[in-house]
Amino acid sequence: MSFDLDRALRGRVWKFGDSIETDAINPYYRYPTMEELKQHTMEAYRPEFPQQVKPGDILVAGRNFGCGSSRPGLVLREVGLAAIVVESVSRLFLRNSIARAMPIFMAPGITSIVNDGETLEVDYPQGTVRNPATGASVAVRKFPPLIERIVASGGLPEFARQRYLAETAR
Amino acid sequence: MGQTMAEKLLSRHNLAGSAVRAGDILEAKIDGAMCHYHAAEPMHELALQAGFKDGLPRVWDPERVFVLLDHHQPTLSQAQADKNALIRREVERLGIKCFHDAEPGICHQMMADYGLMRPGELVVGNDSHTISYGVLNTGGTGITRADMLYVLLFGELWFQAPQSIKIVLDGRQPEYPISKDIILYLAGKYGDDFAQNMSIEYTGSLVPQLSIDSRMCLAAHGVEVGAKFAMFEFDEKTREFLRGRTSKPYEPVAADPDAQDEKEIRLNVDHMPCVVAKRHQFGNVVPVDEVAGTRINQAQIGSCANGRFEDIEIAARMLKGRKVAKGVRFLISPASQQVYLQCLKAGLIEGLIEAGAQVVTPGCGICQPKVGFLSDGEVCITATTRNFKGRKGSMNAEIYLASPLTVTAAAIAGEIVNPKESLK
Repeated sequence: MSFDLDRALRGRVWKFGDSIETDAINPYYRYPTMEELKQHTMEAYRPEFPQQVKPGDILVAGRNFGCGSSRPGLVLREVGLAAIVVESVSRLFLRNSIARAMPIFMAPGITSIVNDGETLEVDYPQGTVRNPATGASVAVRKFPPLIERIVASGGLPEFARQRYLAETAR
Repeated sequence: MGQTMAEKLLSRHNLAGSAVRAGDILEAKIDGAMCHYHAAEPMHELALQAGFKDGLPRVWDPERVFVLLDHHQPTLSQAQADKNALIRREVERLGIKCFHDAEPGICHQMMADYGLMRPGELVVGNDSHTISYGVLNTGGTGITRADMLYVLLFGELWFQAPQSIKIVLDGRQPEYPISKDIILYLAGKYGDDFAQNMSIEYTGSLVPQLSIDSRMCLAAHGVEVGAKFAMFEFDEKTREFLRGRTSKPYEPVAADPDAQDEKEIRLNVDHMPCVVAKRHQFGNVVPVDEVAGTRINQAQIGSCANGRFEDIEIAARMLKGRKVAKGVRFLISPASQQVYLQCLKAGLIEGLIEAGAQVVTPGCGICQPKVGFLSDGEVCITATTRNFKGRKGSMNAEIYLASPLTVTAAAIAGEIVNPKESLK
């Protein structure tokens, strides 16, 4: 389940606009099960997305991605997205992505270097996101060490269990 | 160099004991943890996924965990009833003392009603509008369900100390609540993420005039502009509100005079028009005159943003001697049982019903939504939190956000109007 920050990624881009909200990502009050959510995620903006998204695709979006509620975006991983690369991310969506080890990257300028349907390469260890067709690239923001450790553990619940086991074993 | 309110609050809670500055990553001691209807996830489902085979093995302090079954009270399906039953079992197993089980209402309003957060505290909740607690000078902030598991186990959580944005409000409080107009106006002018990851600190000559209800609307909406905290200074109104609600000691937090804010925004409300947010974003804001004449099917007042006494009082006042327009569904949902009772005792409810409004059980229902769906082509004007596409059913419905004053004026006219005309 854990996501490996050290692995470079390459995938086809689905491009979205600014302030994509959690109601569109995770409309769970209409579609309460994960199976239903997978059929409806992001349809508010791209009705074809649930049917046409393929494992390994990359979602690119503008500023304030995941604004709105504290709902997680796990469904985006469940439909197979390999990464989410955004200009900026809402605070709670970022917390969720870290806590559930979801591959989200903040790369200011991303929306100006890649178009919908093009290929994108994400190389977190190198700190870059690159459009191989044009050669254009932008920097990806590095996470602080504590956050990298949480992600490497597979998420905050797993991180919590490791700490709990270490403390209670003493 | 002095500290901002947020820096001071987080320094006070920093496990490392050192003073923090904006940008620092810290692990903080938590004073209170609010769980609503998602409580089953950190206590049970996520705990199982993480490898705790019997669910969460403990909570760090059963006195500091508050569980309120809002959103799902009363339940609307057996699935919700099953989830509530699971939460009930887990609350008992973990020994959690404060459990509001059989009481409808919005968790944040109930946290305030029952004095469960205090000035200077750091209180987290697994709901985005936990930021509302800044109304009482509490560092309240929404966290995720997975974060909550960590908090429940250890009473600690990581944060990045936020930069601060000072919002200086000046002008005169009119005879009706204006907080909704203020935050919408600012979101329209500066964008719906102008305070992303930041701590909003409200100040200025208007603030002492603002009621606790009005301040709580501004605090709650901090999240709609991206903020981590949205705080008010402690004053006489805060002290008065807390009197009788809490017997525990507290220590308010204030910014140092030489604190470094990242940004400062000033607004004089005397020159501010009544505004609405058009579909489907909080920052898509125009003066109400620009959409005057738009026919509506539904009007709403409620939620953690606008379900308080003064929001319902202005509706009752405007409806005195008037009727809701024929065919318009005007839903009013008090934020909590305590607010409902306050409205009843003040005689507001009778007039609202006589005028043709529907009073909906306290809770999140009309906002989230659980009740009051929209069909294709319908238009709703609402004093609730969000207007995202499809939030109230049809993807082809339109949701306008507006103040309780503007909403009520539209409910009476059957179309969006400048409410200042109807006040005359």
